[in-house]
Amino acid sequence: MKQYVVRRVLLALPTLFLVSVFVFALMRFMPGDVATRMVEGHAYAPTLDALRHDLGLDRPVYTQYLDWIGGILLRGDLGRSYWTRQPILEEFVRRFPVTLELAFLTILVSVVLGILIGIVSAVRQDSAPDYLGRVLAILALSVPYFGLAVLVVVLPSIYFKWTPVWTYIPFSVNPLENLKIMVVPALVFGVTRAGPVMRIMRSSLLDVLRQDYIRTAWSKGLAERPIILRHALKNAMIPVLSLIGLQMPLYIGGSVIIESIFRLPGVGLFFFEAITRLDYPVVQSVNLIVAAMVVGLNLLVDLSYAFLDPRIRY
Amino acid sequence: MRSSTRASGIRSEEAAPAPAEASPPIVAARPLEPRGDPTRRARPWWADVWIKLVRRKPLGAIGGVIVLVMLAAAVLADWITPYGFAQTSLRERFVVASSAHWLGTDELGRDLLTRLIYGARISLYVGFGAIAIGSALASAIGIVSGYLGGRFDLLVQRGVDAWMAFPPLLLLLSIMSLLGPSVWNITIVLGIAFGIQNSRIIRGVALLVKEHTFVESARALGAGHVRTTLTHILPNVVPTIIVVATTGLSTVILTEASLSFLGLGVPPPYPTWGGMLSLAGLDHMYRAPWLAIWPAVALSLAVFGFNMLGDALRDLLDPRLKGG
Repeated sequence: MKQYVVRRVLLALPTLFLVSVFVFALMRFMPGDVATRMVEGHAYAPTLDALRHDLGLDRPVYTQYLDWIGGILLRGDLGRSYWTRQPILEEFVRRFPVTLELAFLTILVSVVLGILIGIVSAVRQDSAPDYLGRVLAILALSVPYFGLAVLVVVLPSIYFKWTPVWTYIPFSVNPLENLKIMVVPALVFGVTRAGPVMRIMRSSLLDVLRQDYIRTAWSKGLAERPIILRHALKNAMIPVLSLIGLQMPLYIGGSVIIESIFRLPGVGLFFFEAITRLDYPVVQSVNLIVAAMVVGLNLLVDLSYAFLDPRIRY
Repeated sequence: MRSSTRASGIRSEEAAPAPAEASPPIVAARPLEPRGDPTRRARPWWADVWIKLVRRKPLGAIGGVIVLVMLAAAVLADWITPYGFAQTSLRERFVVASSAHWLGTDELGRDLLTRLIYGARISLYVGFGAIAIGSALASAIGIVSGYLGGRFDLLVQRGVDAWMAFPPLLLLLSIMSLLGPSVWNITIVLGIAFGIQNSRIIRGVALLVKEHTFVESARALGAGHVRTTLTHILPNVVPTIIVVATTGLSTVILTEASLSFLGLGVPPPYPTWGGMLSLAGLDHMYRAPWLAIWPAVALSLAVFGFNMLGDALRDLLDPRLKGG
């Protein structure tokens, strides 16, 4: 097990290196010039050359890369935004809790909904609740979350004079008010994500319920509840867990849209603002951190299999 | 379970580990010949697939009908719409649904129904374009990487790993912000993303096909690598490619819509469903909620249609890729 962890971590390192080179090259070699925009539109410096020099864009590309990656590895310094000159790490750390909370609540909503409906659907296969659950799952898969979010923002304000709260209050200041703000975005996002969770839960539980050990449990006279909850569910959860792991990037990507609709000051909004201003350092650093998190999460998901299914050995 | 067989699409909604135990139905020469009853051989294999679809997968057939309606709308848009998609009329701004404008008009007095119909055209244009580019790319990367194996495979796969480490939306947004929004750019970028993502699945199939004796005998008879891959491996990968492409369409269309929604997909004045829902137009929607409702409905229907059709085709053509 320990050996497996070490090997997986070592395998992740070249991936992360490639990620960093890739995102850096992308920002440097693609068309789109931030310097021109900063000088012409916003008069950040008297001339283009002066600004390029200020930003260090006149140095060779590999020095720029080494500078960036060296700063991260040696000093934990992600660089500064071109536009605000603020350290990126500080901004990221300040905004990350918002995104994390959103992701956590979204996953909570989708997992609770998906698993509950999935269990009912599988246990009462081909009954009315099963069909209802499957139709709901298909609906959830089809409705795009940003479309639903726009409708949730617009329609209630017209017909019920209700609008989501736009001013964000941190959890540490007032937990209750904060939850009130977060619950609507999390519900919107979570409900649309519950579809795939439910479908995987249902099919995997159906699979497990057909196995011999479940029949044994039935024949020794165990009640339905312990059979489903204690014997079947644990094994049936593995594909669900791997789905959530695989979907992690979707939650993070989706936070860009959800945060810009509901105006939550999280990493997603930070990233989106940076993108519209071609703020290279922010875009590449946020991409890198997020990619590193995804790699780490995938690792965690793989390791958690061993916990759920002790037969899995490495 | 680690062999990361991500099903369909740009990191699909339903990505699920494919069951590993079932071995693929491999046929050496013609992959999709209907088996069994010889009297039915007169019917081409694709007709069989359609008949099976209607009989066994009614939801898939409904999806197929939606897709056909969308196709018809896209092709006939010039004839069936009474207005131009960018035809403004400032005297008719925010008109509620009426006989002149069945679904009302937007902030510039453009007819919403007309724009929705043209939106189908853009969605399909980008969707099919990206899928065509992506399937070709996925097959090329997947087959070459799987067939050659060894160090080349290792290198390519680490590259794919790196690409997959990014949340797709973040990466696509970064690229689109640099290239600038345009129909071409988004089609190519989505195509490349789709191709790299799905090369894994194609590679997995190529790896399996490669081990069969007919490949070995072809090599023994003196067939070169190019001939072996093109005439012996590719035909056996084709069903998987079709499945990956059809199940991927809804994801590509949805991704295009989300990029256009953020203003980095298809630029105005082209009407796209994502762009019509857009963040920038949010203020107008308080005055005219139909501007939010109809594009969302159109998009949901399209995604539903492609999802159902794709799922059904997957079950019929290549049950190994089945998810939940």
